[in-house]
Amino acid sequence: MLNPLRSEAEAFRALIYVVVTAAVIIAIVLIVRALT
Amino acid sequence: MEAASAAAAHADHHHGPPEANRSSRIEAATLGILLFIISEVMIFGAFFTAYFFIRVVNHHPWPAHGTTLPEAVAGINTCVLVSSSLTVHWALTSIKNGNKAGLRAGILSTFLLGLTFLFVQLNEYVHIGFSPRDSAQGTVFYSLTGLHGAHVFIGLCILLVVCIRAFRGHYTAEEHRGVEIPGIYWHFVDAMWIVVYLTVYVL
Repeated sequence: MLNPLRSEAEAFRALIYVVVTAAVIIAIVLIVRALT
Repeated sequence: MEAASAAAAHADHHHGPPEANRSSRIEAATLGILLFIISEVMIFGAFFTAYFFIRVVNHHPWPAHGTTLPEAVAGINTCVLVSSSLTVHWALTSIKNGNKAGLRAGILSTFLLGLTFLFVQLNEYVHIGFSPRDSAQGTVFYSLTGLHGAHVFIGLCILLVVCIRAFRGHYTAEEHRGVEIPGIYWHFVDAMWIVVYLTVYVL
């Protein structure tokens, strides 16, 4: 299981997941705003 | 009799309180940053509670009427901070492979990118057109972004120390804990900014 506090490499991988999740949320928000 | 004399001999050598118990499964430095980051998440959680309270429970508009938030500038600033996580990771990977030049370039770039982020953030405060006392939204905006800015400032102080030590050649392929632990903290500051950016600027 991913533990971002175990090592710098895992913290960096967790950060990439956060970035991807944020990008998906931003895309959804922009699409919803454009359609409504 | 022999056991008693051995214990007495041991007592002669040991002064002060007994040594602290140490886990064999997690190193003290890693446990320290783990507990610290957990406490940090709780602090940010308290500020996010205030944000969601005024927005979701009280149904106040976000941002307050007559004010705008510079989403584009904050978006570029987000890219700057995410880039600084890439460079700190580059620095650590370099020193793990014994590449001291890569470590120095990576840490220096991280420090400069962090400094750029903080400068843009402060510049945003100057030009944003509302103050913390103008509205509840203004208070929460400055509190959340200011709390994060304070973490960036502390991170920059730590990175400066790492930078000086890197240029003095203190780190090696075998001993680089002093880069790895600040790196974990910096990734945390970066991830927390993405959450702040999403909630304050995007949603």
